[in-house]
Amino acid sequence: MKPLRHLAFILEDFALQTPAQQLLDRFLFGHRRNGAFHKIDDLRISVARADSFLPPSTGSDLLHARSTETALQLTDLPTVLRDADAVIVVPRADSGTPAAANLSAVLTQAKRSAACFVFGALASDLPSARTFTTLAAARQITLAAGTFLPVTWRLPQVDLPTNAPVEESLIVVEGPSPLAELHALDGLLPVLARRVGGERGVRRVKFLAGRELWRSGDRKEWSWPLLSTALSRSDSPQGDTLVDGRTQDLVGLGQVPKLASNPRGWLLEHTDGVRTTLLVLDGVVADYNFAVRLREGGEISAQLFQAPVPAQEHFSPLAATIENFFRTGEPPWPASRALLTAGLLGACREAAPQPGTWLKTPELVMR
Amino acid sequence: MLVRESASLSRRYFSGVIVGAAGATTFAPCHIRAASKSPAKRKRVALITTIVRKFSHGQHFVDRLLEGYGWHGQHHESPLDLVSLCVEQFPEGEVSRERSRRHGVKLFPTIAEALTLGTSRLAVDGVLIIGEHGNYPRDAKGQPLYPRFRFFKDVVRTFERTNAAVPVFQDKHFAMDWREAQETYRDTQRLGFPLMAGSSLPVTWRLPAIEVPLGTPLVESVGVGYGHHGYYDIHTIETAQCMSERRAGGEAGVKSVQAFKNEAVWKLLAEREPTRRLCLAALNRSQTLKPAPGRTFAEPSIEHLQRVSPFAVAYVFEHYDGFRTTIFHFNGTGTTFSRDTAALNDFTYAGLTLRGDVLSTLMFLPMPPTMSTLASFFSPLVNHIERMVLTGQPSWPVERNYLTTGMTLFAVDSLFASGAKLDTPDLRIRYQPTPGPHFWLG
Repeated sequence: MKPLRHLAFILEDFALQTPAQQLLDRFLFGHRRNGAFHKIDDLRISVARADSFLPPSTGSDLLHARSTETALQLTDLPTVLRDADAVIVVPRADSGTPAAANLSAVLTQAKRSAACFVFGALASDLPSARTFTTLAAARQITLAAGTFLPVTWRLPQVDLPTNAPVEESLIVVEGPSPLAELHALDGLLPVLARRVGGERGVRRVKFLAGRELWRSGDRKEWSWPLLSTALSRSDSPQGDTLVDGRTQDLVGLGQVPKLASNPRGWLLEHTDGVRTTLLVLDGVVADYNFAVRLREGGEISAQLFQAPVPAQEHFSPLAATIENFFRTGEPPWPASRALLTAGLLGACREAAPQPGTWLKTPELVMR
Repeated sequence: MLVRESASLSRRYFSGVIVGAAGATTFAPCHIRAASKSPAKRKRVALITTIVRKFSHGQHFVDRLLEGYGWHGQHHESPLDLVSLCVEQFPEGEVSRERSRRHGVKLFPTIAEALTLGTSRLAVDGVLIIGEHGNYPRDAKGQPLYPRFRFFKDVVRTFERTNAAVPVFQDKHFAMDWREAQETYRDTQRLGFPLMAGSSLPVTWRLPAIEVPLGTPLVESVGVGYGHHGYYDIHTIETAQCMSERRAGGEAGVKSVQAFKNEAVWKLLAEREPTRRLCLAALNRSQTLKPAPGRTFAEPSIEHLQRVSPFAVAYVFEHYDGFRTTIFHFNGTGTTFSRDTAALNDFTYAGLTLRGDVLSTLMFLPMPPTMSTLASFFSPLVNHIERMVLTGQPSWPVERNYLTTGMTLFAVDSLFASGAKLDTPDLRIRYQPTPGPHFWLG
């Protein structure tokens, strides 16, 4: 076990119900864990606010209130990092990645052999992510990145059997880019990583939007039945359900194309031949649902549960995961996933201007 | 993309290609999944309800039978044909007529006609009685006078007249009056038809997905929830009872009931360490406990509860075998219940074993409109109903619902007798649980 005496937070914003607040408060005040309220004793917490987060603001007031009622220290980044055993970097709520300058500063100035967790993705492209992992490795800083999606509850609580042969997978999310793509990847890649052979990367990516997205499904480039399976897990169908509460077979009734606003999707072809579809379907459902088809038949599917506001309790299992990481020095998931996520965010962005065209991604083939 | 022809076509008249029905999907064998496609073999049900409007219980049940629902990774079409509806109220915004037209389900003016389809014989294989919501008066204790018992007696009279009986589902508790509840139970025994009733709490998702192993030496159960007495008591009581009944020896019945309110609740919690421990353990599963200003979540503590919920109600049930159930409703800052001012919006459970271990979980309701657009927790309940109609076997003993009906009614009686402890010899209702699990797993 590694000592955890001083934890530093580098925050790019702070307001109620932002990831920054939900994570900081769970270390500051405690969080629900295994049926008890878990508090970390003898832990000093410091916060440095990144440049873009300037007082006066509501967020600043909230932080000051915390510093007066607890031992929370608000200070500058070098001071925060000087003797921190571990660092949590939280980007703005509307961004999936921290500002590169902030993460660079953390990895340059943090104590050698510290641990660092980045909420979200390390970067939105592979070269930047590699720069960060190289920098971290050079300073013996253990680095991990991710959202709550790999560790939140699933409805139902299923997982891919270890070493299961997978044929195809699909996830439906909603929201603006690039957060939606990040959530799709962070929701699905941890599930797929358990398949036989593990994750060996992605060899090409195709972007599809609007009608072409539906046509490509008709051509079986992705699977309508698998979309139906994923949507069967949703608690938030839109359309007629909003009008009169009815249940709907959204795929069977042909409602998906009618309801979707600015539908977009990415087809991923993994190195081992597995096909993955990321669908951002605003206006169809308002939660995240995935489905995976096994090669010998059978499927698993679930909703990735986002707990009600304001508590958003899905941040509690993430806080527990981060604390375990800091205490053991073992990152919760392989660094290669963070690189793949960053690389795929870049590939998704790069593929978008040329819908329907496969973008080869040799840099995302993992050996 | 192949689609079903139109959302406006009746499922019963169009059972064409359903694209998206997944191939092989994992599912728990205890649940009914596949719909029979042979009209001759399909069983028919009638649904009797007070009102069918958006988010009324009637709407949730009607739509799951007519439109299907997400179940075990596919859109499940009910294996039952809803062939008749009897609805009592038709205010603005009601949707039963629209459903009737679109799905070709006949609306009948009387329960007898709904069950016989206007003939002289019983013409359905099952009956759902959904006596919840609608404009009904309250009794002197504030309980809504939903006509569940009246509906039930009309069903029983039809059974008697046609000399036939089929399985019946009764939503929530049997009745608002104990004598009516007793008569309900006696009728099922006399005529020998399966009756299943209750709340969706025992069958919804659990976070974490735990079940009390049969024969566990439990000594106390605590259920924590919220809600106006007479409306939501049954939910919290069944949250606890579906776990408690699995204790060593099974259910022995309840010998006394006592209600507590406000200051008396805090005194009870101060005096009973195991109960306090279980209450806080349950609250550590809650995801909605109201936080202090400037926070988004709260550490459960008695002090915090006193701040955010001066309006609190507790019911203590002493069982015949020495077991104890305590139910807490933390209703927030008002003097009368309002969902908006309640101190929490979920239902949690904690149970204590003889050797001091605590089992706890959240019975999670994805409640619309704040948490979802669908009340998906009705899906497992409808699935259990489907199973009962197809097999003739209720998923759990009717005695559970008979007991929880009594626990609910006597608890409210005690509340309105200023917290008097009431002996409840009528609740010496013994039963053994079915193995289960009955909650939503797959």
